[in-house]
Amino acid sequence: MMRRILIAFAATWLLAAGLARAQAPAPAPEPAAPPAAPAAAAPAPVPITDADIKSVSGPSADDKVKGDPAGTITGTVNDIPVGDAKKGLTVADVVNTVGQNVIASNFIWTLVTGFLVMFMQAGFAIVETGLARAKNANHTMMMNFMVYGVGMAAYWIIGFAIQMGGVAPNTNLGGLAPLNHEVTMSLFGKNVGLFGTRGMFLGGATYDVGVMVMFLFQMVFMDTALTIVTGTAAERWKYSAFIISSFFMGAFTYPIYGNWAWGGGWLATLGANFGLGHGYCDFAGSGVVHAVGGVTALAMAIIIGPRIGKYTRDGKPNAIPGHDIVLVLLGCFILAFGWFGFNPGSTLGAATSGNLRISSIAVNTMLAGMAGSFGAMYYMWLRYGKPDASMTGNGLLAGLVAITAPSGFVNPMASVIIGLVAGILVCLSCEFIERKAKLDDVVGAISVHGTNGI
Amino acid sequence: MAIAGVLVTFAGFLLAAGSVGIAAANGVRLVIVLVGIALCLGGIFGLINPAYQKNALWKR
Repeated sequence: MMRRILIAFAATWLLAAGLARAQAPAPAPEPAAPPAAPAAAAPAPVPITDADIKSVSGPSADDKVKGDPAGTITGTVNDIPVGDAKKGLTVADVVNTVGQNVIASNFIWTLVTGFLVMFMQAGFAIVETGLARAKNANHTMMMNFMVYGVGMAAYWIIGFAIQMGGVAPNTNLGGLAPLNHEVTMSLFGKNVGLFGTRGMFLGGATYDVGVMVMFLFQMVFMDTALTIVTGTAAERWKYSAFIISSFFMGAFTYPIYGNWAWGGGWLATLGANFGLGHGYCDFAGSGVVHAVGGVTALAMAIIIGPRIGKYTRDGKPNAIPGHDIVLVLLGCFILAFGWFGFNPGSTLGAATSGNLRISSIAVNTMLAGMAGSFGAMYYMWLRYGKPDASMTGNGLLAGLVAITAPSGFVNPMASVIIGLVAGILVCLSCEFIERKAKLDDVVGAISVHGTNGI
Repeated sequence: MAIAGVLVTFAGFLLAAGSVGIAAANGVRLVIVLVGIALCLGGIFGLINPAYQKNALWKR
């Protein structure tokens, strides 16, 4: 009976989604191009002169002393810095201030979203610790704590240079001109990028405000990929091996693929070199971050083998439940919160260059997460007779992983479909990994990040 | 067998990456890339994983 109710509910939900899609108003036809106006009728642009700028008056000192509760006299012409006191305020001063404000808003946006992504480390830490057994909570938490520092050190020493050392120019962050050398090779008659070289230790000319923003944002992304592996290998990974492995992943594995996709490498230039549209488009890192982390986790699970007691002698898997589901679901919420930095922050700015789509990216992100949790919850409910808390959490994460790459390019309905498919896919993948491949993935990271990342 | 698996997986990567030079039509390139991905998965789950599981802990 319950199964029928669930099927009917799911069918109703999908029907409603389909109807909403069907009822969406058809896109308005492209307006015909207006007839070209005669050249004589077009008003000639009137240049703004320094005199015009000087005629703009701000609030008087007496007005300012009275306070500004409505915020109408704060941020006026008085607040524009003057370059030369003798000349007074000029057009050049205004234009320079506008330019700096654009870059400032991009800096603030990218830094704050980077801080959100950094907080995802806390989410990963408690998800993984909650899904591990109590006796290994200390080890799991310690790995998640130190992966942040180990990864950052590796990335600062060489990883950032490999990934972003040849990424210039970037208009959002002021050019990033010091990151200007990419090692290339000739392939099929085209020069294709392999890795960058500028920015080791953030020394020399790369001690630059824009480069610092890029480093912080890319560093926290790299750490996300590293911490995926600790989830799969939890409860049995020798601590010293974890340190060495994480260092090399932060120094080489992640940065090389990051360069290919985001740093001007051969995947990024497939469009220009081989006529493949825009080339490899991974908006926020389903492939660069999650697939790399997930596939590395797969390799790790193959190499180190399962925990003692995970499989019987005839290969049947035993369930080893985590010790604290409260930690797991709280961690999922923290990760979902951090994802608002992960995806919208990947515009690397909030002003100009189409960056206002940060709103639609954020909405796409939350919708896909919602649909992912629904997909996993319904799948487990229908298949096993009751919803599973940890798989529902994994469904949320799977939806978020799957929408990461297309979040900047799709509409909300597509986001929901992507999330729903991801939520079901993560359940199927977990079953395959555990039962067919006989790999012990403590938190389901191979399925959440690897399968859905790809 | 593990080394053979690594070679097959790498061959899959080369095939997918080389699709842009092998064919000019995007449809053909797509098919080649999918074959490359399948080859990678075959190498990982068909060769490398069984090689590591030959002496798996739970079989002893």
